[in-house]
Order: sequence, then structure tokens, then C-alpha cells
Amino acid sequence: MPTLLLLTIFTPTLGALLVWAFARNDHAAVRQSALVTAITTLGMIAVLLGDFAATDQPYATLSYPWLGDSSGIDIRFSIGLDGLSLWLFGLSALLLLTSVLVSWEAIIDRPATFYSLLLLLGSGMLGVFAARDIILFYIFFEFTLIPLFFLIGVWGSEDRRYAAAKFFLYTLAGSVLTFLGLLAIVLWDYNHNESEIMTFSIPALTAGLAQHPIASPYQLWIFLALFAGFAIKVPLFPLHTWLPLAHVQAPTAGSVILAGILLKIGTYGFARFSIPMLPEATATCVPWLLGLSVAGIIYGALVALAQSDMKRLIAYSSVSHLGYCMLGLFALTSLSVEGSVLQMINHGLSTGGLFAAVGMVYERYHTREIRQLGGLARRTPRLAFFFVLFALSSIALPGLNGFAGEFLILSGMFQRAWTAAPQALVLAYQVMTVLAVFGVALGAWYMLYLVQRVFFGPLKEADHSHSDPPIRDLSFHEVAALSPLVVFIVWIGIQPEFFLGRMRATLGPVADNAVEALDERQGRHERALVGPPSWSDTSGAAGLPSSANRIGGQATRGTRHFSPVDSLVSPPQLPLGELTRVE
Amino acid sequence: MTPGIPTLLILIPALPLTATIVTAVFGRSALKQNSHRPVVLALLGSFVASLMMLAQVRQESEAKPSQMVGWETSVDLWNWAEVPNALNTPPAAHSASVQGIEHGLPAALPFRIDLTLRADALTSIMLAMVTFISLLVAIYASGYMHGDRGYWRFFSYIGLFVFSMTMLVSASNFVLLYVFWEAVGLCSYLLIGFWYEKPEAAAAGKKAFLVNRIGDFGFALALFLMWTTYGTLNFHDAHGIAGILGQTRLADPELYVGGGVATAICLLLMLGACGKSAQFPLHIWLPDAMEGPTPVSALIHAATMVTAGVYMVTRCTPLFMVSPDAQHVVALVGFVTAAIGGVIAMTQTDLKRVLAYSTISQLGYMFLGLGVATLGGITSGMFHLFTHAFFKALLFLGAGSVMHAMGGVVDMRRFGGLRRLMPTTHWTFLFGCLALAGVIPFAGFWSKDAIIAAVQERAHDEPEFLYLYWGALVVAFLTSVYTFRAFFMTFYGSERVPYEAGPNAHESPTSMTVPLTILAACALVVGAYFERTEGFAEFIKLTPSLAYEVVNSKNVEIVSQSHTLVGAISTLVALTGMGLAAFLYLGDESQVALLTRLLMPLYLLSHGKLFFDQIYNVLFVWPLWTLAQASYWIDRVLIDGLVDLVGRIPPKLAALLRPLQTGMVQFYALAMVWGVVILIFTLLTWPTH
Repeated sequence: MPTLLLLTIFTPTLGALLVWAFARNDHAAVRQSALVTAITTLGMIAVLLGDFAATDQPYATLSYPWLGDSSGIDIRFSIGLDGLSLWLFGLSALLLLTSVLVSWEAIIDRPATFYSLLLLLGSGMLGVFAARDIILFYIFFEFTLIPLFFLIGVWGSEDRRYAAAKFFLYTLAGSVLTFLGLLAIVLWDYNHNESEIMTFSIPALTAGLAQHPIASPYQLWIFLALFAGFAIKVPLFPLHTWLPLAHVQAPTAGSVILAGILLKIGTYGFARFSIPMLPEATATCVPWLLGLSVAGIIYGALVALAQSDMKRLIAYSSVSHLGYCMLGLFALTSLSVEGSVLQMINHGLSTGGLFAAVGMVYERYHTREIRQLGGLARRTPRLAFFFVLFALSSIALPGLNGFAGEFLILSGMFQRAWTAAPQALVLAYQVMTVLAVFGVALGAWYMLYLVQRVFFGPLKEADHSHSDPPIRDLSFHEVAALSPLVVFIVWIGIQPEFFLGRMRATLGPVADNAVEALDERQGRHERALVGPPSWSDTSGAAGLPSSANRIGGQATRGTRHFSPVDSLVSPPQLPLGELTRVE
Repeated sequence: MTPGIPTLLILIPALPLTATIVTAVFGRSALKQNSHRPVVLALLGSFVASLMMLAQVRQESEAKPSQMVGWETSVDLWNWAEVPNALNTPPAAHSASVQGIEHGLPAALPFRIDLTLRADALTSIMLAMVTFISLLVAIYASGYMHGDRGYWRFFSYIGLFVFSMTMLVSASNFVLLYVFWEAVGLCSYLLIGFWYEKPEAAAAGKKAFLVNRIGDFGFALALFLMWTTYGTLNFHDAHGIAGILGQTRLADPELYVGGGVATAICLLLMLGACGKSAQFPLHIWLPDAMEGPTPVSALIHAATMVTAGVYMVTRCTPLFMVSPDAQHVVALVGFVTAAIGGVIAMTQTDLKRVLAYSTISQLGYMFLGLGVATLGGITSGMFHLFTHAFFKALLFLGAGSVMHAMGGVVDMRRFGGLRRLMPTTHWTFLFGCLALAGVIPFAGFWSKDAIIAAVQERAHDEPEFLYLYWGALVVAFLTSVYTFRAFFMTFYGSERVPYEAGPNAHESPTSMTVPLTILAACALVVGAYFERTEGFAEFIKLTPSLAYEVVNSKNVEIVSQSHTLVGAISTLVALTGMGLAAFLYLGDESQVALLTRLLMPLYLLSHGKLFFDQIYNVLFVWPLWTLAQASYWIDRVLIDGLVDLVGRIPPKLAALLRPLQTGMVQFYALAMVWGVVILIFTLLTWPTH
């Protein structure tokens, strides 16, 4: 299995090389080989995922010494999958296939370069989720930027250069800080572990930091450094403005990958690094992050409502939906964290599908303006069927996937607000919860508005010159691009446990430390407040053991010193001596 | 050998689902104008299965073990989600382990949702009613929709709807109920917007969905609150944890949380019910929903889906029993809605809208019955749901028959005197009207009368209910007037036919008149049959939620004398209403014109539908829309402006330094010399230790 994992990650790269080397001048051969590559990758992943046992043990691991020297620096080429990365890994390959198929007719200009870049991007995405070494992770993390920069900058719409530059610089600026934060984590561990090895291994660091946690002031600063990169990537309100622009200008395949996968790298980063490695800082920042998430949910939905451009509307809906993912992660209850990771997949399926479908409309009418279109259900019923289905999935219609994720997230958040909120913030948390639930209703408004305007009502087609081919309903390859997404949308909707069960064992420990820190932090103020709020007529809730808030409900891991940073304002001095080993 | 209850429970929704898939896949290419066949067959199968289940449930319920509260059984299909250790066990009184398990509850409860179906009296009667009406409507629609482009699409939606509705009434946990609650909403959305090329239809579908989403917002919050309060979302006891409406709690009603939490849960549930059942203040979507094909209006927007709210509140009776405040709200909302619907229906000229407002009004009666909160009130509310399904479906199908003949015209001012042209429609419609107006011995009389009697009984210990009693009688009068107004305007007077109908307007085909006749027979007998045999209330009482002692202890035995009195009064009221309608609309039009002029302000209010749409636009829609535009402005100008500003700093810095790079070698040489000088000077003067 480890070898298969390695092969899977680099199959797209291999495909890219083959496309470039042998099929450069033949459009048909280019896209066929890209398709074969994508299908092969997906097939291999199906084998990989099918074999995953639902344990907390990493799976298909492989680790070679890579960069390092006798001084103890140990950077390894280390890959593997676990419950957190499993489905995101699979989703990457699924959306790679979709994006190859949606580009089938759309990309005529330099197809060989286009497909090579797309496949390279595929390898990058797979690598990010499989990496188990910080340097390897970061290389893949940055590597995803470059192909997408060219995809947007070369094959995008009218304003593509500005969009590509903004996307690239904005995310790069954030991720440089993230890199510094990750290095600081490595250095702290090096300073405090017993061995002489400076490890870059993610699981080793996670375990190590649980033994000797980073002192509080540094935790906060490191958290903020990681936050810079991940929050921009998500994007968390108000760091989102690069997203609508990049989406609107990107070619369809770029939008699908960007919305479906690249945004998830941000939330994945929080779940992989920030929460388990920096639990106390996480606990400190929880109220702020919840606030920003809910602001993003409502704000994204409102701005989406004001859009006249289909792609921009869906882009803003992503801001809203990613708000739910962040809300779930930082509500830090077992329900919400599971829901959040599931929602990452759901959003990839539904929004990926929506962008693909909008791309199909664009290919036919060369416009994304809502008011230039209408009644397309008459002209393209199959496209309308898929679009409506993706829209319903996106607005969390029960029975489809979006509901499973959002329901878990919101139950978890409700539980946080009503049974385990810090006393000073009970009301704020409750308001946030209600707003987040209301966001679901708002979501239906903008999405149904879009569907009603574009697909229903009297037929209205944008001007297209008579030399263009007549408008046809979906072709075979377009149906093939969208159908796999539908299968998973329905499957997750009716049996989410299949997907949740395989990630559960891994997700438990992810947030355990943070939950413990949170409990401790809240417990310092008052131990009560586990039961219903004051309008309940009972007081039996006080002082209950809070083991259920601990995800996975595991036993307490040894007591740890804890000195929280109460203020985000007082900047501690960063003595570099602490971070660099004194020889 | 007859199949057992579990098999039937699965079979009833599975058949329509299969038919939906068959129709969706083969409809366009193979079945075409035969697309109704799989659906009608499946519905027939479901109906037969429902009857078999009804019989078995009845048998089981009557032979139930004595310690059991009511009778119920459930079937697990598969696990939807199970998150272990999800919630700290709420305080002991509120979460309970099933009796007989000694070790009690763990410190943390799992979040476990299964696909579980249940059977009990309430479910089985709902299933029988839903499958029966939908079977008749499907047969009717095979004639009504004949020749439509989307024939196969229509029937696949209908199948999907029946699947969702049967699942809704047999769900055994709140999540599953919520899932199908929204699924029937989706079907409603799709069917209202069935003729999606009509902008009004597409807009009406969207409106229905969005207004329902507001209700579902409340419903979802209620679910979350129940989860944190009770630590489960199951109706029944399962896996050692007492369900919210399960045997353990019903046997020991102390286990229900009272106070503010209870009221909050109930009010949020009621908000959900208001959305689905078109109650004030969320009733505004139902009249617009009449843009859908008429069989849909009959099935979804009169007989079945809109009663889901009534079903849900009945199901949750134990929760409402601990919150008298919430029960008062239910009664009040019911009454206000009944009144609003009645007043608006008086002046509408669109035949289907009259019926739509009448549906709103009748649903209001049902909630009024539930709000009375005695066993008599609740069973009479359910009884009215049951009888209303027959006669309102009949009236809508009759209206559809008229529309079919009139070339799609529904404006009552444009046709009249159709009784000779459409004799079957005329007679069946009359039966529907008599039932709706509550004339003895038609179905509506028995059920509406039971509600009014229950309200009056309740007034004995709470005098405020006396106002509701008089109000309900006034609404009954209004009902009779607007019903017969519509009837006389359509079928009496001089014969007029709009030009859309063409030269030979005629009675509808057999596929449409047969369902009409069957429903007319039902409208005549179902009320009397069940009332005389006392069957309905006795049977529905065996539902666990209605069988426990709290409900039964609150039951005031309805004295037959007062029942007769109330019956006499309400019959008198109905006949007076009929008489007034006859006086106004069978004579010349001057009386109507005079009355209109006399009551001008009232007329304008009623004709303008009390201006709810306009008020909501000003209060909610426009502000939100403005807020959306403002947010977008903030996004472009402030937030993105700031980002671009930051982006401009590096080039600006570069521009500051740019003059240094002049390209003149002399300048570089000079700078270098100065640099070396400064460096040397610094090194020489640097303090050394």
C-alpha cells in the first residue's frame, strides 16, 4: 500500500510529463492521455481508500531520509494517510477527473501546457494531504500555487493577470508567515526533546508537543503566524477578497480545483497543525474565530445575494460555507469537528459541481451575467437537473450531503453555546449559533434566486452569433464529469456514517488537547455552566465531568502547566535564544 | 399469509420511490404518455398495504399488553450517524435510561441517528389517508395532465412526494422527520414551479421554499434544543436511552422538562409547523402555491403536505403538555389564522385562491383544536385533518375540472352557470361545499363541530376560551358564506364561458370524474361513519403520545347534551351563511355592489389579502436586500480597497529608492567612497571592551 500511495501521488506528474513529451501537438491525444491519467489516479485511490481500516493508526506510511545531515536535522520524505486526510485525498482525485472533463472542449489554446499544469496541480494537491513531514507539506503547499497561477494567468478571462497576481501574492504572503510558524514549532521541539534529532515529522511533533507544550506567549504568536497562511487560504472573513476575483477570472477547471480542494488546505492546516499542536492558543482564540466564522457565514451570504455574476455569487457562497467548516472546527465538540471535516468534502462536491455547471453555461453563451440568461431548463434540461441538484446540495437539503455536514456542525455549535460556553460569552455564543442557523435560510435565498433566474422563467438566451454551433444539452463527457459528484452527494446524504466512521478515530485526538485547554480555561472562571442556561429551572448541571466535550472522550493526558494569555494585545518579547538551541 | 407490519412499513414508501425512479429514467424515452402507469400502480400497492397495516395496527393496539402506553413498534433500517460520547448527560430528570437497565446512563451520551420507521395508530391512519388521496389524485391527473410536455416529470415528482410524505409520517426520530419535512417541501417547490416557464410559477416555488425555510429555521433550533435537553432525538426508547416520546417518559411524565426550556422547544416547533402548515405569520406562501397544477394543489397544498404541521404537533403532544403557554399560543395562532383565511377568502375572485385561503382557515381550526389541549381537542383536530383531506381534495379537483373545461381560466367573474355544462362536477362540488361549510351530515360538520365543542368545553375551566368559541362560530359563518359564494358564482346564474374554453366546453373525462365521485361519497360518509362508531377518536387515542395519563386526565368528557347544542348552533350558522350567499349571489348583482360600497374599507382590506405581502416586503425583504447591497459595497470598497492599499506599499517603497539608481557611474563611485569612509570611521570609533 505505501508504494501504491507513492505511485498515486506521482501518477499525475508522470501523466503531465508524458503529455508534454509525446502528445504535445495533438489536441485529441493530449486530452485523452490526461483523462487516462486522471482515471488511473482515481482507480488507485479507490483501492487505497477501500483498504483503510477505521483506526487511529496512520495508513500506508512510508518514510525515507531525505534532507538532513549529521547535525541531527532530519527532514524526511514521509507520506501516509489517516482519517483526516483520507477523504480530502480522494476528493482531490475526483475533482481532478472532473476538471479534466470540463476542459474537454473549452481549452483550445495550448492544450498540452494546460493539461500538464492541471495534472501537476493534481500531484500537488494529493501530496499536501499525504505529507507527514513539515517540509514536504510546505513544498506541496506552495507547489499548488504555481500551476494555478499559470492556469488563471494564461487561460483566464479578461482581467486574469490582476487576478492571478493578487491570488498569488496574497496567499504567498500568508504562507511565508505560516512557514515561519512551522519552523518555530520545529525549533521548540528540538529545544525540549531529549533526543539530538531535529524532527520535522508531523506526528512526532504532535506527540512531542503534547509532552512539552510550547509556552503560552509563544503559542499565541505561532498560532497567529500559522493563522495568517491558513486563514487566507480558507478564506476566513475578512481575508477573502482574493477569492471572488480569482474564481471569476479562472478557467472552469481552475475554479473547480480552487473551490473544491485548495480552500480546504486552509481548514486542513488548522486541523492538522494549529489545533493539535497549539491547544492553549487555540483555546484563547476560539471566541474570535467563532465570531469571524459566523460573520463570514452571514456576510458571505448577504454579498452573494447582491451578485449579478454567477461565478462571483458562487464564490461568495464559498465564503459562507467555509465559515461553517471553521465554525465546526473551532466549536470543538465531537459533533462539530466531524461535521466540519465532512463539510469540507461536501463543499468540494457541491461547489465544485456548481462551478463546473456554470462553466458549461458559459461555454454555451459566453456570459456569466445572470440577467442575460433565463429559462435554460427548457433548452438544456440535463444541465438544469445537475445544476439544481448541486444547488440543493449546497443549501443543505436534507437527504443530500450538505445537510449531514451542516447539521452536525450546528448541533455541535449549539451544544457548545448552550452547555459549555464560558460564562461571560454565553449570550454571544448563543447569538452566534442562532445567526449561523439563520445563515442556512439565507443560503437558500441566494441559491434559489440564481436557479430561478437562470433556469426557470421564460427562455432568455444571451446573444450568441449565428456562426456559433446551436445550443445543445450536455454532451456525454459533460455528464461524465458531473455524475460521479452526484453519486457521492447522494451517498453522503443518506449514509454519512460510512464516511464519518472512517475518520472518527483520527479526529478524536486532533482536538483533545485543545478541548482540555478550553475546559481548563473556562474552568478557571467557574466550573459550573455545563447545563442549560439560566432560564432552565434546574441547576443539576453544575460540576459535571466534562469528558464528553473532549473529543473521543479519552482519559486525561497528564497535567500540564498552563498560563494563558489573556490579552491579544500585550506582545511578549520573543527571545530567540529560547527557540534556537544553545550549544 | 399477510406480510407483517415491518414489511408493510418498508413497502409503503418503497413502492412510490421505485415508481419515481422508473418514471424518471424511462419516462422521457419510453413511457411518455404512459408515465402515470407505474406511479398509479405503486400508489395502489401502497394504499392496499396501508389498509393492511391499519388493520394489523388496530388488532395489535387493542390486544396490547396492559403496561404499555398506547401501542407502537419500530423497524431499524440503517445507521445514519453515530458519534460516541457526544454530549455530557443532561441532568438526571431530563435524560433517562430505559426502565429495567440497572446501570443507568453513561457520563456522556452518543449522538445516534438511525433510519427508523415506526407504526402506531397515528402513523397508520395518516398513511392510509395519504396513499388513498394520492392514488385518486394520480388517477385524476392522468386525465388532467394529459398531453403536457412534462407528463413523465409530473408523475415522477408525484411519486417522490408520496415517498417523502409516507416517510415523514412513519419517521421515528426528529432528524428523519426533519429530513422528510424538507423533502416534501422540495417536492412542493418542484411541483409549484412545474410550469417553470411561467415567471409567477417559478417565483411562487421560490417563495414557498424560502418561507418554509424560515419555519425550518425554528424547527432546526428546536431539534438542537431537544438534543441538549434530552440527549436524544429518538421518538422511541432505543439503545438503553429513553426516547423523547418513548414508553419510559410517557409512563413517568415527570421526566419531561418544564419551564422556559419546554416553552422554547414548543414555540420553535410551532414556528416550523407554521411554515409547513401555512399558519400566521408564515401563511403567505400557500395562495401563491396555486400556480402549480391543480392536482398538486389538491394533493400537496390541501390534503397532505400542509397537514404535516398538525401531525407534528399532535405527535409532540407530550412536549406541549408541559408548556401551557405554548398551548395557548397554538390555540391563538390557529384561531387568528382561521379568521385571516376566512376574511380574505370572502372577496377573492380566483376560484383556487378562495380554496387556498379556505385551506389556511381550516388548518387554523385544526391548530385551534390542538391548542385546546384536551384529549377531545387533539383528537378532533386530527379528525378535522382527516375529513378535510377528503373534501378539500374534492373541492380542488372540482376546481381543476372547471379549469380544465374553461381553458385554464380560474377567475370566477369570467364564467358562471356551469351546472348544466358540467353536471358531475357540479354535484360533487356541492358535496364538497356542504362538507366544508359544516352542514349535517357531511364530513366537515362532525369534525369542525367536535373542535368547536372542545373549545367550548375548555372554556369551563378557562373562560378566555369563550372568546375563541364565539370567534370560531363567526369563522364558521364566514366559511359557509365564501364557500357558497364560490359555488353560486361558478355553477349558477346565467351560463357564461370564457373564450379560452373554445366552442365546445364539456364535462371532464372519466379519469377525472371517477375520483371526484369517490371523494364526494367520502365527503358525505367519512365524518358520520367515524363519529357514529366513535371509531376515529377511540383509535387515534391508542397512539403512545395521546395514550398517556396526562392527556387523558385532562380530558373533560364531552357531555352529549352540549355537543348537541353546539351542533345545532353550528348547523344554524352554516345554513345562515348559505342563505346569505344565496341572497347575494343568486339575485342580481346590485346587492353585492351595495354591500361592497357599504363595507368599502373592509372590502379593500380583504381583497388586498390584508396586505401581508406588502408589509413583509417593507419589513424584511427590502431591508435585507439593501443590507446585501451595502455589504457588497463594503466588500469592494472598504475591505478589498484596504487589501489593494497594502498591495501598493511595496511599489511605493521601491519608488522612494528608485532615484538612487541613476545609472551614473560617478554617483555610484562617490557613494562607494563615502560608504567606505563611514565604515572605517565607525570601526575606528566603535567602543571596544
